[in-house]
Amino acid sequence: MSTVSQPLLKLENITKRFKNLTAVNSVNLDVAAGEKLVIIGPSGSGKSTLLRSINLLEEIEEGTIRFEGREVGYVMRNGKRHPDRPQAISALRAEIGMVFQHFHLFPHMTVLGNVMEGPLTVQHKPADEARSIAVEILAKVGLSDKRDVFPATLSGGQKQRVAIARALAMQPKLMLFDEPTSALDPELVGEVFDTIHTLADEGMTMIIVTHHMGFARELADRVIFMESGNFLAQGTPEELFSSAQDNDRIRGFLNRLL
Amino acid sequence: MKYLISRAFVALLFLWTMTGSCLGAEDYEQLFRQTSDLMAQGDLDGALALLKQVPAPKADEEAGPFVSSRMQAARIYASQKASDKAMTTCQEVLKLFPDNNEARNFAAALKDLQKPGWHTALSDTVRFLPALAKGALMTLLLVFCTMLVSPLGGLLVALGRISTIKPISGFCWFIIWFFRGTPLLLQLFFIYYGLPSLGITLKPLTAAVIGLGLNYSAYLGEIIRGAIQSIDHGQMEAAKAIGMSYSQAMRRVIIPQTYKRLMPPVGNEFIALIKDTALVSTIAMVELMRAADQLFNTYFNITALALAAVIYLVLTTIFTFIFEKIEYRAGIYEHR
Ligand SMILES: Nc1ncnc2c1ncn2[C@@H]1O[C@H](COP(=O)(O)OP(=O)(O)OP(=O)(O)O)[C@@H](O)[C@H]1O
Ligand SMILES: [Mg+2]
Repeated sequence: MSTVSQPLLKLENITKRFKNLTAVNSVNLDVAAGEKLVIIGPSGSGKSTLLRSINLLEEIEEGTIRFEGREVGYVMRNGKRHPDRPQAISALRAEIGMVFQHFHLFPHMTVLGNVMEGPLTVQHKPADEARSIAVEILAKVGLSDKRDVFPATLSGGQKQRVAIARALAMQPKLMLFDEPTSALDPELVGEVFDTIHTLADEGMTMIIVTHHMGFARELADRVIFMESGNFLAQGTPEELFSSAQDNDRIRGFLNRLL
Repeated sequence: MKYLISRAFVALLFLWTMTGSCLGAEDYEQLFRQTSDLMAQGDLDGALALLKQVPAPKADEEAGPFVSSRMQAARIYASQKASDKAMTTCQEVLKLFPDNNEARNFAAALKDLQKPGWHTALSDTVRFLPALAKGALMTLLLVFCTMLVSPLGGLLVALGRISTIKPISGFCWFIIWFFRGTPLLLQLFFIYYGLPSLGITLKPLTAAVIGLGLNYSAYLGEIIRGAIQSIDHGQMEAAKAIGMSYSQAMRRVIIPQTYKRLMPPVGNEFIALIKDTALVSTIAMVELMRAADQLFNTYFNITALALAAVIYLVLTTIFTFIFEKIEYRAGIYEHR
């Protein structure tokens, strides 16, 4: 039993194709508990598809996903892979939080309602318990005063913080952020990064797709450069940025961003 | 020529009666017979002149001929639209016999006639309203039953159509295809007159609600499906991402967001439904349309139909208003 060194998430030869386009090409990845992983790469390189494959929003063609050591998402029947039972898939998603570029808040629920929804509907917690969880998390993301308004009245930065709170209310073991600040006005990016930072400091395991290099450098334990469905390079921020000196593609990509 | 002869005849008769101090029962009989003949010939003036010859009865005399003659004269005046003269004639009787029922009713009717046209319409309205109100209640009952049944049916059909399970989506496609593709009237006939031959006999109300319910389920099904599919796909993903099952996501996230979008087209459908209930009058149900039709056929009075139109308008207006309110409420979260 070497559970101590066991990664929280382990991807083995993950391949995802859309018709004849290979969006994720036989990727291997270990994410240790508490690790902060940043994925960068040009548009269309498969970053979103990889994140979505992890929480089973995309059905992969090949490979295995292990979460806390157990194989998840797929079962073998008569020598063929099939998606696991819907309940098992939902159960895994409940343990993995996801934050989208475009927030996807539930517009018909108040801010508090959005954050309560997971505990209430998925975890079947009593309303008052779900409520106190939501109140606490909203305080953490600094939105206590917005509890009772509808998302339509919020700024982009506030919306994204509510989306983070909604994911956190499920007490996930892993958080996936897919370009959480790309839809925001520049002046609103900071508040969302601050929120993610706070989470990181609390030891949350997270995979973040972002184009903000400064943020990646500051936060990441490891940065992966992805292109055409492959991991082209990875390492600590320092390693990656120095390796960029001798890799044209990474250098080109970073120069365009900086 | 014919006219002259009859005039001369009347004059003769007049002279003859003047010479007699009073007339016997047979004379009256003959006088009334002649009056009828003259009226049949269209000589109303002649008839009137004859009738006027019947003198007011003296204390001990029979009142019958006098009353009959004056009432007959009054009817002739009334038919000539000379309601003033008719009234004077009527009053002659009432002066001597204030309690005479025929004269009193006639005078009352004349008074009604002298009132303006809207007054007649009003009294028709009062007369027709109870039957029409009963019909309108039945129409409302049909509308409410269908409004209870069809949104549920529509939701099931819509979810079935979206389903990835082929037999279910195929079946729901068929339901929509069939009930949207055939006339409601035909469906009603089939359910009410056709099903008994399969051993299923339904009461008219049941048959009507089944027919309207199926038809409107099919229409609402397509509307609901469209509304569900118009919700941003990210909503389903976000719901799944926090661990919701498909049905939880539908129930808590997707379907509640369709309400606002559903209201305008569903409101439209329900207003069409109010009018479509008129079709069930063909399967032995007395609702508003049938009630109006019956009144029209009995009294040959257009007011009954006009009133039905007004009631339909009132109903549709109320529904329009209610649906606007609901639409506003359903979308309140979008207001900034
Ligand atoms: N549902 C889909 N159907 C078909 N092709 C898809 C689908 N989703 C993604 N792709 C394709 O897969 C490839 C990877 O897409 P992905 O969204 O993962 O890229 P990305 O790295 O997230 O890009 P970006 O930075 O623009 O978000 C792209 O070529 C994209 O066009
Ligand atoms: Mg992306």
